[in-house]
Amino acid sequence: MAGYLLRRLAYGLLLMAGVVILNFFLIRLAPGDPAEVIAGDMGGATAEVLAAIRADYGLDQPLLVQLGRYLGAMMQGDLGESYFFNRPVSELIGARIGPTILLVLAAQVISITIGVAMGVMAARKPNGVLSGAVSVVATIGYAVPVFWMGIMLIILFASIIPIFPVEGMADIRLRNEGWLERMIDILHHLALPAFSLAVIFLAIYARLSRASMLDVLGADYVRTARAKGASERSVLFRHALRNAALPVITVAGLQFGGLLSGALLVETVFNWPGMGTLAFDAILRRDYTLLLGVLFCAAAMVVIANIVTDLAYRLADPRLGGET
Amino acid sequence: MSAADPAAPRKAARAESPLREAWVMFRRNRPAMAGLALLVLIILATLYGALLYGGDPYEIVWAPHEPPGATPEFPLGTDYLGRDIVAGLLTGGGPTLAVGAAAALLTMLIGVTIGALAGYFGGAIDNLLMRFTEFFQVLPALLFAMVLVTLFSPSLTMIAIAIGLVSWPQTARLTRAEFLKIRKLEYVTAARAIGARDGRIMWRVILPNALPPLIVSATLTIGVAILFEAGLSFLGLGDPNTMSWGLMIGANRAYILSAWWPVTFPGLAIFLTVFAVSLVGDGLNDAFNPKLRER
Amino acid sequence: MKFARILGGVAALALLSPFAAAADGGSLVILSTQTPRHLNGAVQSGTATAVPSTQLFASPLRYDAEWNPQPYLAESWAVSEDGLSVTLNLVKNATFHDGKPVTSEDVAFSIMTTKEHHPFKSMFAPVETIETPDAHTAIIRLSKPHPALLLALSPALAPVLPKHVYGDGQDPKSHPANSAPIGSGPFMLESFTPGEATILKKNPNFFREGYPKLDEIIIRIVKDENALLIAMENGEADIFPFMTSSNSIKRMQGVERLTVTDQGYAGIGPINWLAFNTKSEKLSDKRVRQAIAYAIDRTFITKALMRGVAQPQRGPIIESSPFFDASIPAYDVDLDKAKALMAEAGFADGMELSVDYIPGNDEQQKNVAEYLKSQLKKIGIEVSVRPSPDFPTWAGRVSSHDFELTMDVVFNWGDPVIGVHRTYLSTNIVPGVIWSNTQSYANAKVDEILNAAAVEGDPEERKALYAEFQQIVGDELPIYWLNASPYHTAYDSRLGNPPMTIWGPMSPLDEVYWKEPK
Repeated sequence: MAGYLLRRLAYGLLLMAGVVILNFFLIRLAPGDPAEVIAGDMGGATAEVLAAIRADYGLDQPLLVQLGRYLGAMMQGDLGESYFFNRPVSELIGARIGPTILLVLAAQVISITIGVAMGVMAARKPNGVLSGAVSVVATIGYAVPVFWMGIMLIILFASIIPIFPVEGMADIRLRNEGWLERMIDILHHLALPAFSLAVIFLAIYARLSRASMLDVLGADYVRTARAKGASERSVLFRHALRNAALPVITVAGLQFGGLLSGALLVETVFNWPGMGTLAFDAILRRDYTLLLGVLFCAAAMVVIANIVTDLAYRLADPRLGGET
Repeated sequence: MSAADPAAPRKAARAESPLREAWVMFRRNRPAMAGLALLVLIILATLYGALLYGGDPYEIVWAPHEPPGATPEFPLGTDYLGRDIVAGLLTGGGPTLAVGAAAALLTMLIGVTIGALAGYFGGAIDNLLMRFTEFFQVLPALLFAMVLVTLFSPSLTMIAIAIGLVSWPQTARLTRAEFLKIRKLEYVTAARAIGARDGRIMWRVILPNALPPLIVSATLTIGVAILFEAGLSFLGLGDPNTMSWGLMIGANRAYILSAWWPVTFPGLAIFLTVFAVSLVGDGLNDAFNPKLRER
Repeated sequence: MKFARILGGVAALALLSPFAAAADGGSLVILSTQTPRHLNGAVQSGTATAVPSTQLFASPLRYDAEWNPQPYLAESWAVSEDGLSVTLNLVKNATFHDGKPVTSEDVAFSIMTTKEHHPFKSMFAPVETIETPDAHTAIIRLSKPHPALLLALSPALAPVLPKHVYGDGQDPKSHPANSAPIGSGPFMLESFTPGEATILKKNPNFFREGYPKLDEIIIRIVKDENALLIAMENGEADIFPFMTSSNSIKRMQGVERLTVTDQGYAGIGPINWLAFNTKSEKLSDKRVRQAIAYAIDRTFITKALMRGVAQPQRGPIIESSPFFDASIPAYDVDLDKAKALMAEAGFADGMELSVDYIPGNDEQQKNVAEYLKSQLKKIGIEVSVRPSPDFPTWAGRVSSHDFELTMDVVFNWGDPVIGVHRTYLSTNIVPGVIWSNTQSYANAKVDEILNAAAVEGDPEERKALYAEFQQIVGDELPIYWLNASPYHTAYDSRLGNPPMTIWGPMSPLDEVYWKEPK
C-alpha cells in the first residue's frame, strides 16, 4: 500500500511538472508583457524603466534559462515572486487556497448528500412519480450554467428575500469577534456560492446513485438479505448503499477538476476571495509567476483528489480490500 | 431487444436495422422526443429567426433597460445600451451553437483517435497515450482554456479549439474501453485472419460497433461545450465582436440589480438548449441500451 | 439578511458603546475597485495606492478645495524671490509610527527618492539639492523656477518616507516596507491582504492635535459592480469613491441614506479623449481630424451615452483648473462642415479607420468607440472597433504607435507640468511608453510655450502661456477631448468632513468623523 502510494505520488509530481512546463511556454508566447502592465499601473514609464523592470525579473534572459531557473527554484519549494505584488507567490496563494478548498468541499458535500439521497429515493420506486421528478431535476441541474445560477440567486437574495449575503466570504468588521461569530458569518456567506456550485454535480450524483442502486437492488445478495427477512431500511443502508457508493466515489474524484473550473466562475460571481479570482486577475495582468503558481496548485489539488479517491475506493470496496 | 444482441452477425455494421431499432425505441421515449423537438425549434430559430425578425442586435434602437412587455416592439426589453434583446437572442444563438458543435467535433476527433489507438494496440502505445490523457485530465480545464484564449486572440475559432483541447480525455477513455472490449470479439479476429490491415479493422470494423456509446457521449459533449463557451464569454474572454448568449450575460451582468431581464433570457436560452441536448442524449442512451430502459 | 443584521447589530453595539456619547471614533469602510500593488505612493502612481498611502504617510503640504496649499508637515513655507529655492519649516512634534521623529533629513531623502523613482519625472526634475540646516528646516534648491513644485508636495505625490527604513540601500520600488509601510500619517497599517483589503488603525501619536477622528479605516477591494452597490446599500460599506458608471451613480443617488457628489476630483483632472495617430497618412492632415471633431456630438456622449453624469471637456487642461481657457474652439456638431473638410483634405469618398479602446470601463471607453462607428459613418468614415482582451494588449498597441484612433483616459495630476505636458511635448515621443506623446504630435511652438510655462513664476503670465498652448492644440487637434471622467463619491450622509478637497480621497482622512454614531 505504501509503495503504491509513493508511486502514485511520484507520478503525480511528474504530471504537475508537465503542467507547469507546458503553460510556461504557452504564457511566454502571449503578446503583452508584465513590465508594460507594471509601467502602465505606474502611469507610464520610460524605456529605461521598462528595461530595468525586465532585468529585475530576469525577463531579458533566454526562455530556457528562465524555465530552468523557475523549475530549479520550484524544486526547493519556491514558486517565485509575483510581478504585480512583489510578494512571494506561495504567500499569495496561501491566503487564497483555503477559501477555494472550503467552497469546493462544501459544494462536494452538499451535492453528494442531496444527490445520493435523491438517487436512493428514486431507486426505491423506479417507475414512480418521485423517480421521474428526480430525473427531471437532475437533467435541469445539469443544464443550468453555473454562473447564471449564481446571478439568479444574487437577484433573488440581494433584493427580493435578503436573508443571505451575496458577496465576499466574511464581514470584515467582525474580524475581531470570537471564533464562533466569525464561523457563523463565513458559513452564512458560503451558502449561496456553495449551493450554486453544488447544483450541477448534484444532478450527476443523483443519476449515478439511482442507476447503481438499481443495479445493486437487483443483485443476488440483496435478494438473499431480503429473503432472510432483513428490514427494508437495513437492506437499503447496510447492503445496497454501501455498494452503490463505489461509483459515486469514483466519479467524485473524476469531477474534482470540473469542480475547480466551476469554482472559478462561482468565485467571480460572488466575489469569493479564492484562487479562481486570483488566477483570473493574474492572466489579465500577465503576472506569469503567479499564474504558473496557481496552475501548479490546481493540478496538485486534482492529483491529490485522485489519490484520495483511490484510497477511499479501496477502503469502501470489501473485495479490493481483501484481495489485493 | 434483439437489436443489441451481441451474438448477432456484425460484419456489416452499416446495416440499418440496429439504428432503426434504436430510432423506434427513441420515438417511444416521450422526454427524448420533446427534447428533440425543442432542439430542432431552437436550431431553426437561430438559423432563420434573425432573418424573419429583422432587428439588428448591435443597433441602439430604444432607451436602455426598457423592461420586457413595456413596449410591444421589444417584447423582451432592451439591454444596457438600448439594444433589442430578442434580436440579440436570435443572432447570438448561432455562434453559441456553432462553437458548441465545433468544440464537440474536435473533442470527438481527438478523443476517438487517441482512445482507438490506445485500445486497439494496447501495450506500450496504450500506456503512453493514457499517460498523455492523464496529463490533460490533471490540467485545470477552464484556467487552461482561459490562457489559450487570452494568448491567441479571443475569436470563436480559438474558443472552440480551447474547449476541444481540454475536454477530449473522457471521450478517449470511453473509446479505449469500447475498443478493448470489441477487439477481442470473434468478428474482429476473423477480419484479422483474412488479412485486413489495422487501419481498416479500426475504422471499418470496430468503430461502427463502438458508435452507440460514442454518439451518446458526443451529444452530451455538445451540451458541455455550450456551457463552457458561455462561461468563457461570461468572464469577458469571448469574442466581443460576435453576439453570443454568454457574451450577453457577461456584458449585462453589471446591471443585474436594476435590470434582471438582459441576463435572465440568454441564460434561459442556454439552459433550454443544453436541457434539450441532454434529453436527446439520455434518449439515445436508452435507445442503444434497451436493457437499461426496462428498469 | 435579518440574521446578519442581528449579528452585525450586536457587533456594532459592542464596538461602539464606549464611544456612543463622543463624536470621535468609529470605523470607515471604503470601497475600491482597483487593486494596489503596494502602499508606497513615492514610487507608484495611481488612485489604488494613493488612497492608503496618503493615510499612512504625511507630506509637506496638503490642499483645500480651492487649490490653496495648507500646512501639514511643513507648518510654513517660503518661495524665494528668484523662484530658485523653497524653504520648508517643519512641525516639531511629528513622529513616524515607530516612534522616531520626522526630520528634514527624511523630507530631503523622500523628495530625492521620489524624483528618482516615481514615474512622473517632471514633478521634481528641477530639484538639484535639498539642504537641511537643522532638523526642522529643509531648503529645496532648483535649477530653474518650478511653480508646479508646491502642488507636487501634496500627500498623493510626495509622501515623506522614514530614511531609517528606506535608506538601507534596497531598491525602493520593490522594498519590502512598501507592503508594510511606516509613515507619519494619521493612520497606521494593521494588515494588507493583496487583492482583498487594507486595514488601517488610528495613529494615537499623530502630530495634528485631536486627529484623526476615526478609529479605523478599512479599504475593501471589490471588483464586481453589483457587489459594490449592495455593500453600499446595506451599510456594509460607508464610502465609495471613484465611481464613473452612470448605472452606479444613479443607483446610489436613489439611496436615501447616501449623499452622492462629484466634488473631490479637481486635482486628478481625468480626461476621457479620442487620440489621433498623427503619423498615420489618413490622419496627418489636421482637416481630417477637425472633420472628425465636427462630426462627434459631445453633448450626445455626455447626456445620452453617459446619462448626464459626465461634464463635457473641451481642451487639454481640465475645465475645473484655473489654467483652462474657455475660448478654445468647441467644434459643435456640424456635419456639413465636417464633410467639406474631408473633401478639402482629399477624402471626399471617405476612408476606413480603426478605433481602439481601454477594456474594462465600457461606458467611458467601449460605448463611445461604438458610437463613433455609427456617427462617423455619416461623414463617410467606416470605423471598425478593435477590441483588446485586456489592458496589456491595448497598452502594447498604443505605446508602439500601432493604432489609428484610440479612446484613452489620462489624468492631469494637478499641475499641467505633471500631467499635461507629457502628452504634447515632441521630446516625449517615446515608443514603448504608454501615456507619453503616443500621438507623435510635434509642434516646435508648442514645445517652446510649454517649456516657458513650466518655469514661469507669475500665475497670470503662466495662464497666458497655457491659453496660447490651448488655442494651438485646439486648432491642430492631436487629440479630441470628449469629457471629464465623471468621478463621483457616494458616502453615508452621517459622515462629517467627507473628502472634498482637490485631491478628494487621495488626501488624509484625519478630519472625517461620524456626526452621529453609526
